[in-house]
Amino acid sequence: MAKPKVAFYWAASCGGCEITVTELGMKLVEVGDLVDIVLWPCLMDFKYSDVEAMADKEIDVCFFNGAIRTSENEHLAKMLRAKSKTMVAFGACSHMGGIPGLANNYDKESIFERVYDTSPSLDNSAGTRPGISTKMPEGEIVLPSFYEQVKTLDQTVEVDYYLPGCPPVAEQVGAVLGVILEGKLPEPGAVIGVGKKTNCDECERTKRSNGHVRIKAFKRPHEILADPEVCFLEQGLICAGPATRAGCGLPCIQGNMPCRGCYGPPEGVEDQGAKMLGAIAAVIDAKTTEDVERVMDTIVDPLGTYYRFNLPDSILSELKYGNGNGKQ
Amino acid sequence: MSHTKVKTNSFADQVRLIPGGEHLDVCFACGTCVSKCMIQQKAEPEYNPRRLIRQVMMGREEAAFTNPTTWMCSGCDLCFPACPQEIHISEVIGAVKHLAIEAGYSSPLETVSVDEGLCAGCGICGMACPYEAPELIIKEINGSMDRVAEVDSNKCLGCGTCVSACLTGAISRPGVSNSEMKERILVAEADNGQPNLMTFVCDWCLRASADVELLESYPENVHVIHIPCSGRIDPEIALLALRSGIDGVLICGCQPGECHYQRGTLVSACKITLLNLMLGRMDMAGGRVRFVQIGTRDRGRIKKEIDGMLELLSPQPEVH
Repeated sequence: MAKPKVAFYWAASCGGCEITVTELGMKLVEVGDLVDIVLWPCLMDFKYSDVEAMADKEIDVCFFNGAIRTSENEHLAKMLRAKSKTMVAFGACSHMGGIPGLANNYDKESIFERVYDTSPSLDNSAGTRPGISTKMPEGEIVLPSFYEQVKTLDQTVEVDYYLPGCPPVAEQVGAVLGVILEGKLPEPGAVIGVGKKTNCDECERTKRSNGHVRIKAFKRPHEILADPEVCFLEQGLICAGPATRAGCGLPCIQGNMPCRGCYGPPEGVEDQGAKMLGAIAAVIDAKTTEDVERVMDTIVDPLGTYYRFNLPDSILSELKYGNGNGKQ
Repeated sequence: MSHTKVKTNSFADQVRLIPGGEHLDVCFACGTCVSKCMIQQKAEPEYNPRRLIRQVMMGREEAAFTNPTTWMCSGCDLCFPACPQEIHISEVIGAVKHLAIEAGYSSPLETVSVDEGLCAGCGICGMACPYEAPELIIKEINGSMDRVAEVDSNKCLGCGTCVSACLTGAISRPGVSNSEMKERILVAEADNGQPNLMTFVCDWCLRASADVELLESYPENVHVIHIPCSGRIDPEIALLALRSGIDGVLICGCQPGECHYQRGTLVSACKITLLNLMLGRMDMAGGRVRFVQIGTRDRGRIKKEIDGMLELLSPQPEVH
């Protein structure tokens, strides 16, 4: 039997998803023996034209990380979708938009203005802005265009499976590769490489007073020395653990940092940010409106906190951009 | 000469022994509390705090234990500022409830329950609950020891604040479960050319019956959804309503200090303020989601709020 053909691709991402695959270490060598890698820009030298030349559905599995920010991201997503039997959204950015997706609370022009004009570390007195097309003596050179909004992979092409995480932890990547090689993937549409409930289910930190502590002021991780044995939320640190699907094995929490929510919402939640906002608001210690305001004022950057990894996937984005947010 | 022996351990004495129950001694049964009690006005007109206190004084134990006031008193304490004797009547009622539970009686109310298969043991419900009804316990579930929430149904009054705070959908109450709420917000859009307004009204904030009746009189574009407490409102539900074609969401709760479930209205204020902050960050400010806190003296305010929202949401006439 021919070895399955596998492609890895990165769109609007940081490269962390590639690193997590290399974290498989010696297992990766085994994987390399079992599969035929046909595209992996980070590690191996293939050209887009190699993929273009392939027949439709020739690739067995494509692991696509990164959000869709530019026309190039979209082009590659569509091309790889056509060439692949199975498309896996790999990591938080392709799954929900991820950190690049936070840019959805700015428009393209204000992002360009910041990046090319007003950034304090910048000297762009010539006022250069990236152009889509530039004429050079040798001919025309083109750059991808920068879209108005960040989209998830499944808002661009049909996605068969979601492997969440920023990045997905290596153990889960290894487990998913195993499942694929055994041909035991679940029904398409499933979130794979995850646990059942939320992170709190696996978290061993203690809850005081049987879980009846309420919060007078929220803190940020650098403001206190967190007790490594006690629930972060009870210490006033906003932890996304209650709103986040289990599966990562809690590396952040074990490192004494609250969960940031990269594994996405549990089953049944459509808007992770709104749901988490509702939960965090419910634990405040307030007897008057002034108390509410005082506690609320201690939540720095609520949008970035509640929607850190999922803004493009949220109902908020859907309301802002209209039907353009619909899943494929 | 015969003397009537004074019962030393009468029912009233037992109530007096429970902290809070000692107030019984200073009540002179004027009934001012009755005029303030929302349970008497909205749910159980036949019963009231004064009647309960009289039942205690007269040693009518069973009547007191089965009196709906015993179980429904939410400690809103609207009666407290009105009482000329400055009695925390809710504490007296709490003492009666304590004895009722000891005697084996249980709450007749619709309360929340936990699906242990879904519960992740995060404890948000216990932090959210005004009455600390959910508690975290360790127990064996499907063969392994797990931390899950367990609800004391005698403490739970069914406000639903925990239901909206639960992130796994494990905690639920018939009538206001996630699936029922999601179903209720999927209403047909009115085609009378008017904006679609979804109004969530807490069961306790409208004191005047005229205000309650008014809600029925609005045309089809004003969708009224009754909820036990504004604390049940969930920012995701508000967003889902907007996504389904609703133009605006108005949530009505009690004025702080008068909230039937003590803190539901404060939790809601926090939720909706933050939600609006986020809508603003996404360039969608403009008041499409509003939370108003209606006081017991705000007769007629609901009409102003609904009409105000309708005006805000109406298409602006074109300027020529």
